[in-house]
Amino acid sequence: MAERTLRVALAGNPNAGKSTIFNVLTGSHQHVGNWPGKTVEKKEGFFEYRGLRVEMVDLPGTYSLSAYSPEEQIAQEYITEEHPDVVVNVIDASNFERNLYLTTQLLEIGVPLILVLNVWDVAQQLGYKIDVEKLSQLLGVPVLTAIASKGVGIAELKEALYRAAEHREEIRPREGLVKYEHALERAVRQLTEAIEQLPDLEGYRPRWLAVKLLEGDKHAERVISAHPQGAEVLALREKLKARLKHTYDDEIDIAFADGRYAFVRGLSRHVLTMPHRPPTTLSDRIDRIVTNRVLGIPLFLFLMYIVFNLVQTVSAPFMDWIDELFSGPITAWTLAALSAGHAPAWLVSLIADGIIAGVGSILVFVPGLMVMFFALAFLEDSGYLARAAFLMDKAMSFLGLNGRAFIPMILGFGCNVPAVYATRTIENRAARILTGILIPFMSCSARLPVYVVFGLALFGAHAGIVIWSLYLIGIVIASIAGWVLSHLVFTEVQKSVFVLELPHYRMPTLMTLWLHTWEHTSEFIRKAGTVILGISLLLWMLLNLPWGVKNPQQSYFGKVSSAIAPIYKPAGFGTWQAAGALVSGFVAKEVVISTMAQVYLSEPTSTAQAPAQLHPLEDLKQIVVNFGKATIDAAKAFLNVLTPGVNLFPKHGAEVSETGLSRTLSRAFTPLSAFAFLVYVLLYTPCVATVAAQAQEYGWRWALFSIALSLTTAWIAATGVYQIGLLLGFH
Amino acid sequence: MAHNAMPLSMAKVGEEVKVIEVRGGQRLRRRLIELGFTPGTRVRILQDHGGPLLLAIGNSRLAMGRGMAHKILVTTETPVIQGSAHG
Repeated sequence: MAERTLRVALAGNPNAGKSTIFNVLTGSHQHVGNWPGKTVEKKEGFFEYRGLRVEMVDLPGTYSLSAYSPEEQIAQEYITEEHPDVVVNVIDASNFERNLYLTTQLLEIGVPLILVLNVWDVAQQLGYKIDVEKLSQLLGVPVLTAIASKGVGIAELKEALYRAAEHREEIRPREGLVKYEHALERAVRQLTEAIEQLPDLEGYRPRWLAVKLLEGDKHAERVISAHPQGAEVLALREKLKARLKHTYDDEIDIAFADGRYAFVRGLSRHVLTMPHRPPTTLSDRIDRIVTNRVLGIPLFLFLMYIVFNLVQTVSAPFMDWIDELFSGPITAWTLAALSAGHAPAWLVSLIADGIIAGVGSILVFVPGLMVMFFALAFLEDSGYLARAAFLMDKAMSFLGLNGRAFIPMILGFGCNVPAVYATRTIENRAARILTGILIPFMSCSARLPVYVVFGLALFGAHAGIVIWSLYLIGIVIASIAGWVLSHLVFTEVQKSVFVLELPHYRMPTLMTLWLHTWEHTSEFIRKAGTVILGISLLLWMLLNLPWGVKNPQQSYFGKVSSAIAPIYKPAGFGTWQAAGALVSGFVAKEVVISTMAQVYLSEPTSTAQAPAQLHPLEDLKQIVVNFGKATIDAAKAFLNVLTPGVNLFPKHGAEVSETGLSRTLSRAFTPLSAFAFLVYVLLYTPCVATVAAQAQEYGWRWALFSIALSLTTAWIAATGVYQIGLLLGFH
Repeated sequence: MAHNAMPLSMAKVGEEVKVIEVRGGQRLRRRLIELGFTPGTRVRILQDHGGPLLLAIGNSRLAMGRGMAHKILVTTETPVIQGSAHG
């Protein structure tokens, strides 16, 4: 349909509502990836309006444009090198001056610009009066107002973009709008004149290059030095810098930053009037309670309790539903189809025990992860998570980390993989890596099924306290490891500084929450899922080779496991079955249970033969009915959690037909060796997906370091538990 | 002016102060300036738990580590009378 295309980049401060505008405009037409060679998220999307196809890129949220952080570098390079047709600068109107700093830099670049004063309602409540027309006049670019979270102003933005497609040059800010104080301005002009002599600047504005060169910007230096006649310009730059040094010492770039603020202040004198004493906002009132010295931390712990409770209780019915779906109808139908086609026995086994079981074991985690991601997206988008970082900063400083590291750590309880990616928000590299290495000690949701199965088999009524103690052990070990590592290995983290903006509280929209949830869940399915499936197939092969082995111990898998088993003798679980389960648990911790089911109940799964009769319609009806039941159960559980007096570890999963396994487990393990085993499962090696994420973020060296650290820690802790337990007379 | 200058980290909860100067390394200073800590800007201390500070600057709320707050030199809005019992 669309005949023309408009390429638009969204730029703005973090928390200005950029993503909300992006989501409202592009809806489901978006794609999330990474910037080439960077670990910063790249969001692209499009929409169509009156025959115009608008392609959008959501640039990383930044306070300024320079080469200091990867985010700023990406935003600056995109705008200057990819030449978007229009840049939409989203501004938090309730925080006008601070947001306009970035705007001055966009004006200097000279890209066609549209300003959107977002969060307009909050600005009004604060009594801010902004003369939009005058602002537009002074800057020479269109200025719109919006309340993106309510969809207000979106139609106007679309219309403005439509007009921009026709008259792009009219909204290009004029050169020299932002002026600096005398000495700086003279140097800028002199350098600009020299740059103007260079032919073929590929769309770079000479004045922008001049300012950036004087600021010492690496990107501008690269552009000029790549130019055949660039050497002269660089020489002049050195001369001018030497002269400016008399006035500004080593702080020429700070003088430029000051100059931009002076411009912003001058601008706001013309267009902004605000009450002398700003009224106390609802956000401030909430903060008085939430960040209160006494109430803050208990409130935070209570919220976390609610979140984990939700994850377990709301997802449990759906997990059971998926589990039944895969072990029941899907397996039955597939087997029927295979036997109808006279498939050979190995193929039947591969598909039923390998592929279907593998896919099932991935999908069974999806409900839990979705609830977790949804809850965390809510905490993050509402603005609460930043408060939690503030509250926990002091506690984190014990680990040599600051409050920023706290958010990824919390995410780790859900799934270590997104937690590792979340460390990107930590500026200091050493602190980032240290956090990423400590995250695996946070007991992720994949470990919970292992605790639950063992807990019910061996600890009965005390299962709850056993599981709780495992979470606690993880935190204690992370604290010790953090303290040691920050003093021995990551000594630079001590110097890292902490500053974090606390956004105003707001009610996240369901759409945004859903987009976040789906984004993270699908990332898990793609990244972790493919790995888990691959390894379950490998495991199936090892268990069934040499082909025809009756006893799993004789399979290749059994042989490898038997070779490893003696290492675990001092920890009390030196059997080949336990060792084998641990090996396969490297794929994903929950696989420990399915492997145990396979090796202990030597008949691999109950799926070896096709049922006598199929009732596809019955089955379908049952699936739908069960889904409905699961939804009702989940809704009940949800309401239950939101009312006080709930129990932390409901016995979900208890009904799953693992009674055979739990009987075997209670014979194969003693309570003490089972506890040592659980401690080991908690601490030993991050799963493959986490290791892959670590390698991607910090390089293979640190990923391997993390494996080595956790394996050693786990062995020492499990052996310690077992040996001390023996000494104390437990068994 | 400078007679009642102090680091931001020493200001009291509820107090409103004015930024005089930002010290520290170039990178840190630039970062603080980008966040709005330019001379003359008013900053209010909302919370102080002994760890980081919770600040109001303009209409934004910032959590700031003590180390960073040490580097920002401020003055109280209303001049403090020398020698009075304060804090």
